[in-house]
Amino acid sequence: MEELFAPPAYEWKRLSPKYRSMRQLTSLVVPLVLLTIPAVIVGVASGRWWISGLIWAAAIVIVIVRLSYVPRSWRSWGYVEREDDLYITHGVMFRSLIAVPYGRMQLVEVESGPLERAFDLASVTLKTASPETGARIPGLSPEEATRLRDRLTELGEAHASGL
Amino acid sequence: MTASQPPQHTSAPEPVVTTAGPPPVPTARPVKQTERPHPLTPFVRGWLVFVAIAIGWGRELVTSASDDQFDAGGLTWILPILGIVVVLAAVTGFVAWYFTRFVIDDEELRIETGWIFKKSTKIPFERLQSVDIIQPLAARIFGLAELRLDAGNSTTKLRYLSRGKASRLRDYLLTRAHGQRASIRELDQQAAASIFTDLGMTDQPLVQVSPQRLILSFLLSSEWLIPAAITIIIVVVTTAFGVVPLALGGLIPLIIGMLTLIWRRVIGMFNFTLAESPRGMRITRGLTNLTSQSVPINRIQGVKTSQPLLWKLLDWYRVDVDILGYGHGDGEDNESNATSVLLPVATLDEVELAIGRVLPGFDLDDIELHPSPKRVRWVRWFDFWTLRYGWDDRTLITEQGWFTHVRDVVPHAKTQSVRIEQGPLQRLLRLADVHVHTPRGPVNAVAHQLDEETARELALSQLDRARAARAAERQRRAVETVRTDDHQGEAELLAAFRTGRDQLLGAGGESEVFAIDHERVLRLYRSRHEAPRRTAVQLHALYQGWAGTDIGLELPMILDMGERSGRFFTVDRRLSGRNFSGWLQHADMAQRRPALISFLDATERLRLLPSPVPGFARLIGEGAPQQFSTLVELLSSMLRGPLENSRTQLERDVPGVAEVWNRLHGELAQRSVVPAMVHGDVCPPNAYISRGPDGPVVTGIADFSPHTVHADPLMDVAGALIFLELEPYADAAADAAWLEAIAVERHGRDVVRWIDMYRRFYGFYFSNAYAFDPQLYAWCLRQLAR
Repeated sequence: MEELFAPPAYEWKRLSPKYRSMRQLTSLVVPLVLLTIPAVIVGVASGRWWISGLIWAAAIVIVIVRLSYVPRSWRSWGYVEREDDLYITHGVMFRSLIAVPYGRMQLVEVESGPLERAFDLASVTLKTASPETGARIPGLSPEEATRLRDRLTELGEAHASGL
Repeated sequence: MTASQPPQHTSAPEPVVTTAGPPPVPTARPVKQTERPHPLTPFVRGWLVFVAIAIGWGRELVTSASDDQFDAGGLTWILPILGIVVVLAAVTGFVAWYFTRFVIDDEELRIETGWIFKKSTKIPFERLQSVDIIQPLAARIFGLAELRLDAGNSTTKLRYLSRGKASRLRDYLLTRAHGQRASIRELDQQAAASIFTDLGMTDQPLVQVSPQRLILSFLLSSEWLIPAAITIIIVVVTTAFGVVPLALGGLIPLIIGMLTLIWRRVIGMFNFTLAESPRGMRITRGLTNLTSQSVPINRIQGVKTSQPLLWKLLDWYRVDVDILGYGHGDGEDNESNATSVLLPVATLDEVELAIGRVLPGFDLDDIELHPSPKRVRWVRWFDFWTLRYGWDDRTLITEQGWFTHVRDVVPHAKTQSVRIEQGPLQRLLRLADVHVHTPRGPVNAVAHQLDEETARELALSQLDRARAARAAERQRRAVETVRTDDHQGEAELLAAFRTGRDQLLGAGGESEVFAIDHERVLRLYRSRHEAPRRTAVQLHALYQGWAGTDIGLELPMILDMGERSGRFFTVDRRLSGRNFSGWLQHADMAQRRPALISFLDATERLRLLPSPVPGFARLIGEGAPQQFSTLVELLSSMLRGPLENSRTQLERDVPGVAEVWNRLHGELAQRSVVPAMVHGDVCPPNAYISRGPDGPVVTGIADFSPHTVHADPLMDVAGALIFLELEPYADAAADAAWLEAIAVERHGRDVVRWIDMYRRFYGFYFSNAYAFDPQLYAWCLRQLAR
């Protein structure tokens, strides 16, 4: 099974552990916040606070499931720069492995949102002429993201070929 | 955007120049004649606005009618507003027309628009990617057409021009876009496109879809049958229960959807014609709005053939293509935008014909398709038996579906990226999908449900194949770039000799020849030619050595040589008569065959020319004259250079190439001859024909070159037969076989063996053509396979 997605004769590079922490935080906060709002509304409006209790219980179950899922999801990510192409793999239930030849890259983007910045993270996206390519590596340290961007741009220029 | 690569286009990376601000005042250049579009333009545009409003309002009326309340009172207030809008539209239309001016002449293509904010757009000719003609109904009634110019990412519209003018300008612009010189005045004589099909005089229709077939195919298509069936069911059920008004809310969108479909598939595709012109392929279509669109072959990224279930009965198919930059929606626009439909409905023969044109040189029939493993039926129980995939060294093919059977073809060189996917159920069964990504468009190549091992193998090897294909493409393009470099400094040189590109008499691998006058020609060596001066000096010496020998043929003579604008040239004597190759194409068999015999005679007389050195020798080229003690040594030395380039290619394309090679050497060793002069490339383009007392005869042989050697005189006899097969006229192969029979009659049965040996020799000798001349290379492969 693992062989299907392993790069030939290479070790996967993994994401920053900070990305796992960030995902853990969002897994904890997002369901709680999202479900607290209807829970409070139901409680205030009907006065039946036991319904709110049930909603909170559901939120806690979701949080536990998601928290247990985060480390596996984090581990599933990997990327490797080969001589001619970049491989990215991810997914726990639905797994995928994408290979983008450097010669086909049109654009390399580095992004970092406010939450990512708080965790000192950045993501790198590769674009080709095909919209289906969707090659994105999240949760990199800014240094690694910049290095990867420069490296990929350089390789892209070296391998560039027209359409 | 943090980092980017330069935009990747196949044509010159020069940007479209758009300058805002005041354009150059037309009066400042008295020579330049700017034009306005056709004076009827504002009326047509106003009319279009009126129609648009009428349709919009009509729709409103239909929707309100569904509430069972027809509001006729709306008419009273809507009419004046309508009137004002139409008048306003007409005024704006007039202003827009008045301030639009354009110049299309031998020097430039410039369009100036705007009243307050003036804009001048100048498009370099080479930058034009397509030139389309669109005739909306209203414009069509008045005999007008819109010219749509596509350059890079921007589209410039020029509306409206008279139909004849539009099609003339299109032809002119397409000629220029292909980098050829042409004068706009020459085109004035050409006939205009017709109102119904918009095919130029020179267009050859490849496939025409008859209205009957289009309509029948539409009625049988799944997209039509499903909504039609649902509509009937709804109507029947609601009528049975007597509640028809309740269903109207659902029926009306359904019916509108069906009408839109009819509009797109029948009206929009009416009279669909795929034609071939000297400037590439062209699609014309439409019942009300007539659209004519060119198909940029080099921008095609993939081909999709699909067949709805009921079309199987009639063996019909539909073909779509991915065209770079056409990625809007499903690419099937009803109105006037570029379509990605190559054929809306076609028979298998027509499909093969069309695919042969858009993917030239690809052999799709030989690709073996593999089914998915048996266990796939647990996941894809509904269509597991239709899943297929296959590949060769140039393309990947995937097939799937039975309700609509779809076959996607992606050339490896166009592969963007590759993805393996596996869901939980697939993991259980050890299956995976492989997606091959192409630019936006209808083609979506996915090899569904492969065994894990196979999937991985396919995906990884696909990357290698794509890389190899890209490298081949790069090489091909490099050759093309060299070809365009050839034209540097050319104009100046041609002007100095008072000649021009229109005086081009012939072109070969090393040089191009232009007429100066009746006596002389200018031979311009290509800049990639390694040592033109050396070649010219050696040829000059060779020709001088022949001065005292009359073999009854006109032979070339170098009158002058020099270098100007970085280009090396010679002035040669002009041989009388016409080029034999050009003449052959238009001659009938009764004229051709005696002329071919005279051609054979001429090649047999060449051996009488004296050689500057005795024995086997190369006469032109580095270190020439270079002498060899045997024929085998000489010919092996000739083969060395070309084979260095083509060895790997031949090993791939010729099964058992080593055997062919050894056989050739074995036979060459057995051949014993007295060396004589050999031209080395006696093909019809190098011969000249004139009218003699008994009809046309070959009177001159030109273009001696580095192929010229002192060797087996039979080489030229064999060459005359075997190069004839390369001529582009229909009966060339039959003529070559006939001429071979004549040669056998003259030289005896034994000669067949030696002719075949020289076929293999020339097959190897010209095999480096794979990089720049696929047709010549295919010929080489045929010679080697014999």
